[in-house]
Amino acid sequence: MLPELAFDKLGADLLLAMCEGHGNVGPIVISKGEKMAKVRTDVPYQLVTILTNIYPFIGQKKLALLCRRCDEKALAELEKRGLVDEKRVLRIGLACSADQIKACRCSDPVPSVVHIGAPGKPAGEDELMNKLLAMPSEERLKFWTAQFRKCNKCFACTLNCPVCFCDDCVLEERTFVAEKGIPPGMSFHLIRTFHLSDKCVECGECERSCPAGIPLLTLRKMAAKDMKALYGFVSGDKKKVSPLLTTLEGEPMEDECHEC
Amino acid sequence: MTEFEPTILAFCCNWCSYAGADLAGVSRLQMPPNVHIVRVMCSASVKPEYAIKAISQGIDGVLVLGCHIGDCHYMTGNHRTAKRFPVVQKLLEDVGIDKTRLRLDWVSAAEGEKFQKVVTEFVEDVKRLGPNPLKEVRF
Amino acid sequence: MNVEHVLTTCPYCGTGCNFYLQVVDGRLVGVVPCKTDEISLGKLCIKGYNAHAFVQHPDRLIHPMVRQGGDMRRVSWEEALDKLASEIKRIRDKYGPDSIAVLASAKCTNEENYLFQKLARAVIGTNNVDHCARLCHASTVAGLLYSFGSGAMTNTIPEFDNADCILVTGSNTLEAHPIIGSRMLRALEKGAKIITVDPRDTPLSRLAAIKLNQKSGSDIAWINGMIKVIIDEGLVDGEFVETRTTDFAKLKEAVSGYHLDKVESITGIPKDRLAEAARVFAKSKRAMVAYAMGITQHSNGTDIVKALANLSMVTGHLGKESNGLNPLRGQCNVQGSCDAGGLPNLYPGYQRVDDEQTRAKFEQAWGQRLPPKPGLTLTCAVKDALVGKLKAMIIFGENIMLSDPDITHVEQALKELELVAVVDIFPTETSSFAHIILPAACYAEKDGTFTNTDRSVRLLRKALAPPGEAWPDWKIACELAKRLGANGFDFASPAQVMDEMAKVTPIYGGIDHSRLDSEHLRWPCPTKDHKGTPILHTQKFTKGLGTFAPVHHKPPAEEPSEEYPFILTTGRNLFQYHTGTMTRRSPKLEREAPEPYVEINTGDAKRLGIVDGERVMVSSRRGAISLKAAVTDRIIPGSIFIPFHYAEAPANRLTNAALDPVSNIPELKVCAAKVQKA
Repeated sequence: MLPELAFDKLGADLLLAMCEGHGNVGPIVISKGEKMAKVRTDVPYQLVTILTNIYPFIGQKKLALLCRRCDEKALAELEKRGLVDEKRVLRIGLACSADQIKACRCSDPVPSVVHIGAPGKPAGEDELMNKLLAMPSEERLKFWTAQFRKCNKCFACTLNCPVCFCDDCVLEERTFVAEKGIPPGMSFHLIRTFHLSDKCVECGECERSCPAGIPLLTLRKMAAKDMKALYGFVSGDKKKVSPLLTTLEGEPMEDECHEC
Repeated sequence: MTEFEPTILAFCCNWCSYAGADLAGVSRLQMPPNVHIVRVMCSASVKPEYAIKAISQGIDGVLVLGCHIGDCHYMTGNHRTAKRFPVVQKLLEDVGIDKTRLRLDWVSAAEGEKFQKVVTEFVEDVKRLGPNPLKEVRF
Repeated sequence: MNVEHVLTTCPYCGTGCNFYLQVVDGRLVGVVPCKTDEISLGKLCIKGYNAHAFVQHPDRLIHPMVRQGGDMRRVSWEEALDKLASEIKRIRDKYGPDSIAVLASAKCTNEENYLFQKLARAVIGTNNVDHCARLCHASTVAGLLYSFGSGAMTNTIPEFDNADCILVTGSNTLEAHPIIGSRMLRALEKGAKIITVDPRDTPLSRLAAIKLNQKSGSDIAWINGMIKVIIDEGLVDGEFVETRTTDFAKLKEAVSGYHLDKVESITGIPKDRLAEAARVFAKSKRAMVAYAMGITQHSNGTDIVKALANLSMVTGHLGKESNGLNPLRGQCNVQGSCDAGGLPNLYPGYQRVDDEQTRAKFEQAWGQRLPPKPGLTLTCAVKDALVGKLKAMIIFGENIMLSDPDITHVEQALKELELVAVVDIFPTETSSFAHIILPAACYAEKDGTFTNTDRSVRLLRKALAPPGEAWPDWKIACELAKRLGANGFDFASPAQVMDEMAKVTPIYGGIDHSRLDSEHLRWPCPTKDHKGTPILHTQKFTKGLGTFAPVHHKPPAEEPSEEYPFILTTGRNLFQYHTGTMTRRSPKLEREAPEPYVEINTGDAKRLGIVDGERVMVSSRRGAISLKAAVTDRIIPGSIFIPFHYAEAPANRLTNAALDPVSNIPELKVCAAKVQKA
């Protein structure tokens, strides 16, 4: 089913999906003709991140991958910055289940073309976000410092994020985040949120991979809300330049640096 | 009980606001002593990371002063600053830090008096806010 | 173009997270967490995310080498193994088999450790086989064997999520076992109370409901103090004590003298806080104890472990879900290397070497007469080498020049030996003394199993070929054994080795690689249809009834004096791992913690005129090292802390090899030191 779709219909050379294997579910990459174990869309891996890890090695080959709406948006952000060639990354639209949509508090769950799954309805708002916005700022600060105190600097949020692409990560520059010793302090999380403010597609992978259980997706959603309010900007649209890279009149700036 | 004297970091761009600061000094205008000035070539070279780090470390207020819009020595540098810093302010608010601890303003080389006004006002505002609560947070 | 995601087990700590190694055309490009892994739940720590970084490092040993004159010369495997075998034979003929010691490895697989001890026992003819467990949880193995009949973690890692009270002592869990710490954080979110007892402020203790700081080495005092409170206030689990234990009267008498004032004067713990902690612990329904080196690495470590066992038994917090006594094992396979018999007094499966019937069973299985006397522990082997009683050490994957106590003497011992053979993946401080160096494959380059701290037997899957001429340790052990004239070392794969091990090891009886490929199994797993055992001692203890041990506080072997006024305690940090052979070659890890340091209390530093970052000299009766001061409030006044990862300032140059009489574990957690401006 899936291999036929990828190789025959879409003309891919490689297929990236998540499958059963060795009593677990994990990412696999297969070529045309190879056998594939059972696909498990109920254990969604961040395939765009995995794609970016292997992308430098796939040469001119075309790769098809299971693509949720957030993955689509992530690919748009990468393509916008010339990091991925859209002609070689073929999307197999995956609609998330109701449980998955709820877990992500997702407001935009349906990919542009749905090949697998049934389109679901958007979830309600992020309750924690609303609770935090209603709090007085001292309480809100207390909440976030208590959360960030648990941070163990595993860098899971950065490593698993599909739109985190810098080779030299600013979080590893000691001017901004002191090395040695955990937790890394507020600057780690605030810098990360700022860097992602015009790219984050709210896929939730950061929150899911955080060993400390910090509600990172909620923080992202708060930042996304700010970008919408300030600049009417929503990430994930290939045609929209980041407001942080345009002049006050909205003209794109001539720039080599795509950091923010 | 001693009154709270805030620590302020002010990033001033070489072509306009730093010159404005110089002019204020030469004109012997009264300036609060709590401000530490850092000269940068353009307000756009003030990566938001610097402001974020400063506030995370417990500095009470961060001031970023650039050229007036349209006067930037590098054409669109201050546009970039103008787009970025409101985002940082909103993020500070989102985590519960008063966003007015970060302030962006424009001061030209001829505006010694404006420099004095902006700085004095900012110090008073931050004084009213009190010490940066992150100073007390022991991570 | 070939992209593989190979599911394997982490080579760092004893949590044993599984993840996928990303391999593109034979090159390791990264790590992807496994979301369905029961242990890690798709999370990893910074070391796990960098577990690929050292594998293809240019420093990897790739050729066998033999010392000639002053230099190491590259030779063929034939020549190296022939030389090693002939040296072993020569030394055995001249001095007897007990003049040779084999160091098994907590970094090697179960299959390999099984082969190492079979090599030592059935081929060389000695029980002198031991490994680094001697330095970390030897007290646990000895202590819990006495109290419960089984020296392993009684419950499982996932159960921490649902505990309502976790007593963490002598473990800096968020730094040393981050993913187990992550479970504790989940419990915390659900409202659990964490109690920490540690001389240092740790990332976990900052989140604890009750944080107690005790003087290093005073643990039996506070544990007995807690037990007395529990007895006096009627919080004993009477039914449990009655039906499941013996010698309660002895315990009651032993703790009767530990009233809170006395305990406070010994430990420094304020009495009402200790009493509160005792009450919270006793009254909780799902209370787990988690402990590590702070409890075990003492000259009376075995007794301290027995004291914790007493505490668990007296409150009935055993044999049920989200309860238990949980030693957090350090190395990725230290549990397995003990299980597989890498110990001088125990065969695989903790069966005694000096028991005639057991020995007869193994003699039959291996077709060889076997030595009847228990052999030398690692710490004693080093001492024997120093006085010329031991002549040879065959060291698989261990860096004793950095990890053992009092390394000045370790160095002298190594120099005395007639034969030092080192099998490793990188050159180390130990291999610089070797006569023969054999290059080994690392975890990513072979199949096999590791057993983590909660007794889960986890598969390694080969992801890429070893570099150069490096061989997996199981092949090296077999080829060496054959050259020593042995039969019973013809294995085509590690899976076959496990099959043989399972036949003689009842707790692994039902384990084989094909089962492990899809099932999660914890030992005891005696038969092929047994599903494994998550919780130990549910109906009765391994030995029947649990035994209370009347133990008493004993001061550490070396206490502060006028000349050496500080208590030096050693340990780990999050970013480096043990002797740093792997982490110091991983750029992102090395970046985070590149330099050695000594943590010194702010008040103490001020008194001595030392500022943060200043270079200081720390010395003890055994040596001196120079390193930077980290002035902090994390450590209690009068104590200093040095992590042992750094070869340029080895903490073990200062530590005391005072051994626990039962387990022979050295007192790495307490010695006396002085600090001076450099």
